[in-house]
Amino acid sequence: MDKKIGLKKRPVYINPYFGGILLGLLILTSFYIAGRGLSASGALKLTIVEIVDVIAPEHAENNTYYNRFLPEDGGSPLFNWLVFGAIGTFFGGMLSGAIFGRLGKLRIEKSAKISNRTRLIAAGVGGTLFGIGSQFSRGCSSGAALSGTSALSFGGLIVMLVMFGVGYAFAYFFRKLWI
Amino acid sequence: MKEELFISGRDIPYIDPYLNIWHWEIPVYLFLGGLAAGIMFFAGYFTIMHKEKEMQATVKFAPMLVPFALVLGLIALFLDLKHQLYFWRLYTTIRFESPMSWGAWTLMLVTPLSFIWAASYMKDVFPKWDWKFKFLDQIIDFIIEYRKTMAWAMMILAVILGVYTGILLSAFNARPLWNTSILGVLFLVSGMSTGLAAIIWMSKSKYERKVLSRLDLIFIAVELFLIIHLFMGFLAASEVQIEAAQLFLGGEFTVIFWVFVIILGLIFPAILEILELRGFHIPIWIPSLLILIGGLVFRYVMVEAGQITRYLY
Repeated sequence: MDKKIGLKKRPVYINPYFGGILLGLLILTSFYIAGRGLSASGALKLTIVEIVDVIAPEHAENNTYYNRFLPEDGGSPLFNWLVFGAIGTFFGGMLSGAIFGRLGKLRIEKSAKISNRTRLIAAGVGGTLFGIGSQFSRGCSSGAALSGTSALSFGGLIVMLVMFGVGYAFAYFFRKLWI
Repeated sequence: MKEELFISGRDIPYIDPYLNIWHWEIPVYLFLGGLAAGIMFFAGYFTIMHKEKEMQATVKFAPMLVPFALVLGLIALFLDLKHQLYFWRLYTTIRFESPMSWGAWTLMLVTPLSFIWAASYMKDVFPKWDWKFKFLDQIIDFIIEYRKTMAWAMMILAVILGVYTGILLSAFNARPLWNTSILGVLFLVSGMSTGLAAIIWMSKSKYERKVLSRLDLIFIAVELFLIIHLFMGFLAASEVQIEAAQLFLGGEFTVIFWVFVIILGLIFPAILEILELRGFHIPIWIPSLLILIGGLVFRYVMVEAGQITRYLY
């Protein structure tokens, strides 16, 4: 009985294959409207650049990495399609969550067998590695893998294969974080 | 010696060709003034309608914010003044043709009224509240008897305050973006909407939130209607007005205006409010916060953009 109620309360997700097709169409629309594909890590990267530029403008100017993302006209690096794409993704996700019953109280999604602390530390470490990796590969799973491959970028294809391949290979060692 | 040569007579620092006198203080004040007007209007309205029991956040809780909003707004106004020690001179004259005089006197009436209203509900909001002195208790009892009269005064003054925040700008006939009569009503409606958003955020009653969300949807629709007409008016007017509108239709304020004011500040929260009214679970602070941020950005954009629009070339 409990199980039935539990299943009924579960949030609704669409069919993953159908979701994939929608995602592909979304990338197509993004190329059509913005002339660029999707990105997730880019917005965070530009936020970091903005923070560094506000706190230590000289350092940002002299640093080869940060300097690349500072607009020549002196404007804010946040005034970029990547940032607005991320804002749209955030609110679009919120709307989807509201319609399909996934928008509840602020919570940490995790396996019941691990503590919130473990989950947050693991997420922090994983996120840091992902951030570093996305800069090596010149894009994350959205920017390089999805948008890159949809533009027939060979680099994007390698990112896609390596990212999911390594994830698959390492899943066994970190399975206790989830199951 | 650094020599400068001017070849035009039109170079008055901070005024011509561009106005560069109003910074963050003015939009913050206009926002807080509008917010206070919105909360006071509905506190007055639902008191007159005898709905104090059903609409507790509107009548009792949210008005506690108003004195803070007005005082912070007045501090922002004070910071903006060049000759701060002469602010009192506004109160040595009454000039009906000056929106600033209207505003100064309205604030002079509305600010103490907001304190009195909040004081009259202190014991309801904070049950352990003690006025310490008997005469204060007697004054509060006296005030409570005249709540209905105060409610009428609050409603009328709130409308004047809300309209004035827009007329303050529209009275600048040298700035095409501001010089439109729609601005007074638009700022009033926007202020009402932000006031409602703040009350909805504070309300714990489902009935109250439902009533206020419906009202808010009407105000959002009217606001969008007025914004459309504002631009239609500009585009049908002379070249300077068309250029003023172009700042928002491809110019430098396009993204900030359409993304943060229209989409995230009006349309998206309206969708969330509609979903909530239809029974979907929406954390109520989300649409409220978006409306409040949208209202602040709207005033910021209007003040910033208006200063660089001009008639003469």
